[in-house]
Amino acid sequence: MPFSFLNPWFWLAALAVAAPIWLHLRRKQQTNLVLFSTLRFLDDQPTPRQGPLRLRDLLLFALRVLGLVLVIGAFAWPYWRGANTEPVQESRVYILDNTLSHQANNGFARDRDRILADLDRAGAQIQTAVIELTSAPRVLVSFGEDRETARHKLLALQPSFQRGPYLAAFRQANSLLANSLGARRRIVLLGDNQENQWNENANTPPFLRNIQVDLPTPAARALPNVSLSDPRAQRIYLGDKSFVNFTAKLTHSGDAKSADVVLRANGQVIFNRSVDLDQQPGRILLQAQWEADPATWVRGELIADAAPDALPADNRLFFCLAPVVEGKVALLAQSPYLRLALSPEIMRGQWSARLLEPSKLEAEVAAGEDADVLCLESNYLPSSDARKLVARYLSGGRGVLLLINRVTPAIRGCLRELGFEAEGVVEAPKDNPEKFQFVFSNHPIFHPFLSPDYGNLMDVRIYKHVRLRSAQAMPLAFSENGAPLFFEGAKSPGKLFVAAFGMDRDQTSWPIDQTFVPFLDLALQAARSEDPTPINFEPAEICILPLPIGSQAREVVVRDDHRELVRTTVDQGKAQLRLPEQPGIYSLTYDDQSEVRRLFSVNPSSKESQLSFVDNPEALSLWRTASPPDPGRTPPPSPLGRVRLAGILRQRFWWWMVMGGLAALLLEMALAETRKVQA
Amino acid sequence: MPATTQSLSERFDPKTLAALEGLDFKARYVMEGYLTGLHDSPFHGFSVEFSDYRNYQPGDDLRRLDWRLFARSDRLCIKRYMQETNARFYVVCDTSASMQYRGGGAWGSKLECARILAAALTWFLLKQNDAAGMVTLGGPAAVPEFIRPSQRPNQFGVMLRQLEHLDAAGGPRLSLLIQHTLRLVHRRSIILFFSDLLEPSEEVVTGFKQLRFHGHEVIVFQVLDSDELYFPFSEPRVFEDVETGARRVVNPALARASYLQRFKAFMAAYHDLFQTLEIPHCVARTDENPLQALALFLAERKRLK
Repeated sequence: MPFSFLNPWFWLAALAVAAPIWLHLRRKQQTNLVLFSTLRFLDDQPTPRQGPLRLRDLLLFALRVLGLVLVIGAFAWPYWRGANTEPVQESRVYILDNTLSHQANNGFARDRDRILADLDRAGAQIQTAVIELTSAPRVLVSFGEDRETARHKLLALQPSFQRGPYLAAFRQANSLLANSLGARRRIVLLGDNQENQWNENANTPPFLRNIQVDLPTPAARALPNVSLSDPRAQRIYLGDKSFVNFTAKLTHSGDAKSADVVLRANGQVIFNRSVDLDQQPGRILLQAQWEADPATWVRGELIADAAPDALPADNRLFFCLAPVVEGKVALLAQSPYLRLALSPEIMRGQWSARLLEPSKLEAEVAAGEDADVLCLESNYLPSSDARKLVARYLSGGRGVLLLINRVTPAIRGCLRELGFEAEGVVEAPKDNPEKFQFVFSNHPIFHPFLSPDYGNLMDVRIYKHVRLRSAQAMPLAFSENGAPLFFEGAKSPGKLFVAAFGMDRDQTSWPIDQTFVPFLDLALQAARSEDPTPINFEPAEICILPLPIGSQAREVVVRDDHRELVRTTVDQGKAQLRLPEQPGIYSLTYDDQSEVRRLFSVNPSSKESQLSFVDNPEALSLWRTASPPDPGRTPPPSPLGRVRLAGILRQRFWWWMVMGGLAALLLEMALAETRKVQA
Repeated sequence: MPATTQSLSERFDPKTLAALEGLDFKARYVMEGYLTGLHDSPFHGFSVEFSDYRNYQPGDDLRRLDWRLFARSDRLCIKRYMQETNARFYVVCDTSASMQYRGGGAWGSKLECARILAAALTWFLLKQNDAAGMVTLGGPAAVPEFIRPSQRPNQFGVMLRQLEHLDAAGGPRLSLLIQHTLRLVHRRSIILFFSDLLEPSEEVVTGFKQLRFHGHEVIVFQVLDSDELYFPFSEPRVFEDVETGARRVVNPALARASYLQRFKAFMAAYHDLFQTLEIPHCVARTDENPLQALALFLAERKRLK
């Protein structure tokens, strides 16, 4: 913040300085004047000049002199021609990029050593500050700190796995330079000029005024790199067996021919093989399946080794998967395929289905024992009890899977209440039925179908469906003709999935398709109300963790395998956590208990693995307001009168002297008062 | 010693005043009045204490004719009674700026001391069925403020409130206060005068003489600070007169002797004056308990009586 009389700190400091002096002077004046009731018995008696002045109280005299000397010295300090008060010609702020990408080719260590060397070379004419660029940039060394402290701080820095914006670091540097002494102001960016780091905040309004910015020159436009990202783990059931389906992306650039990939889970090596990278696309989807106990957490890691690789730090990926809790589904449908798919023979351990009798819906409504998901067909919607059930599931945060197998005016009205407009039934010709063409593949329901093991959704045929329209719901799957066939509603607290057709043979071939059971399972899992907190984070990310309802925990603790890392208090059922800076798998416990409540995996951002760089970022030209001064021209030395008050206030000695002077004056006042009382 | 931040009501401790109950405050002179009190009245009227007889004259109230005497001696006589009157007291308090002075050893200013003395005496007098009133000068403009004497139960509260509102300010106003007292108090009364008497004016002396000439009984409570009595200052200082604002550079070590001599002469002059005018004179100090001084004063008066 530039120095200004409008700065409240200035007035506060001025008040702090003036108050004791004023009190002191006031007291002196008061002690010499006696307000007396009458002067009629007194004559005017000018004090006769006595002999030479004698000091009667040496301690008081010494304190007064000390106070005055310190105060005068403090104000004269910036004008002394000493080693520390030489006119500062340049204020320089180093931005040291400590994001993951800067570890490539040992860039971070190299730039840190360069700052150390610059610090040793810089004389008193250059004042230096260092900002560490991480996810939250911070001032590591400020202008006032001595070189030895700065050296220690720099040497203590460790390479981080975080990702941070250049913009925040530049803003912080700009604010430091606004209060600096130097006639020339300069920002030296010691980073890798990563392209995506510059592009994120390119449209920020200008704020760098008359500041010279030195950018590093990247050695190459891009570096070879092999990296792993986007781990996804899911449980699937095939027969009585529970499997974990794991996918991750292997990205490679450069001349690497192959990568040795190792996947471990719960201490077991799932696979260890070499993946051919030559003539392969830049991004490869890795997939693995293995049998796992559904009742236990899955914690694993994926490692890829390749050469050449400029950034080995992104070759390791951690993941974890929560144990399965058997879900409950209430089924109100006539489709024999649905009943069969949800039977214990197929969905054991995954879903427990309860068939609702249409004639006993009233009792079901009165009982209030809701399952996790209600799966019903639209021909039951005219029943008021069925509608009550749907409304209760949705308002209670539970899930509903609605299959529209029939449309009547009454059903249309019910669908309108749910935010859907049924515009009629579309019957496709028998020889050319509809099929899925566009699917929202990032959605949890459809993402696993990217793997061919689940079957091909494109094989599903739709013979008859209802043309649905909704302004609030999001379509997740479309037919070849662009008709939306599957929706996710967003109107209610609970999750609503609507299929524009029923699961009968006259409407679709899906029930006899390979994808049916996985789809049903995934749709029910997505509809089920579950903990929305993700379990995969970036290093040093801050997350709000909601605790389960009824939890009595006062504190939550994040640990690794050996020790406690973070402990934070729970406020109103939520805890704010800052995840560790190192990648890995961390556990969460409550209070002083040892029971693991949750696992987190921390992995670096995949953007940090994109090792492409720019020479002259466009963002920087937008951030600057004027051309910087010519670096070749040496500015004239600052005359005494131009020493800025902001600079004076930043000097530590100045504050110490002012404080010492005031302390001496206060002590003198107290001592004088004591002497007066004694007298 | 009570703290100076206390209000007058808080200072006015009935337990302390209970010590005064054994004393009375009879006027030395016979007062005129109608109500029953402790003060002898030369006027015979409605009372129960028989005085003497006189012959009946046409026009006398027949109710006062002594029929028994007429039956015995065939003489028409009128019974006369000795009437015990009530007295009217006036609290007259000086509010010149010098009354604001508070020395190093004092528990309060002179005005605060005067307030307590006045309040104690008011309470005491109202308790013995006398009427109490007040004359003061209020504000910087010295506007006279007058409370009519009364025996009403709420009179003590009225007096206390007026005493609490007193504020010492402005220049010399003692002679002015006496002139207003002469103007406002018509009937013979007992005037309780509270002042430090430091105003150097001949008009003050004249005013006391006029008060006595008008038949008032005057009792002077002179309130002084120990600084004024002993002048204990040591360092050379600038002294400022709180009433006039005049300043003098004084070396107390050199000036103390002359100060004390002059002050003694000042006190002696007033002592002689009050002795001549038969005005009781009580000196109260701000570093002592004023109620104890009052009790001693009353006890001394009773002993002399």
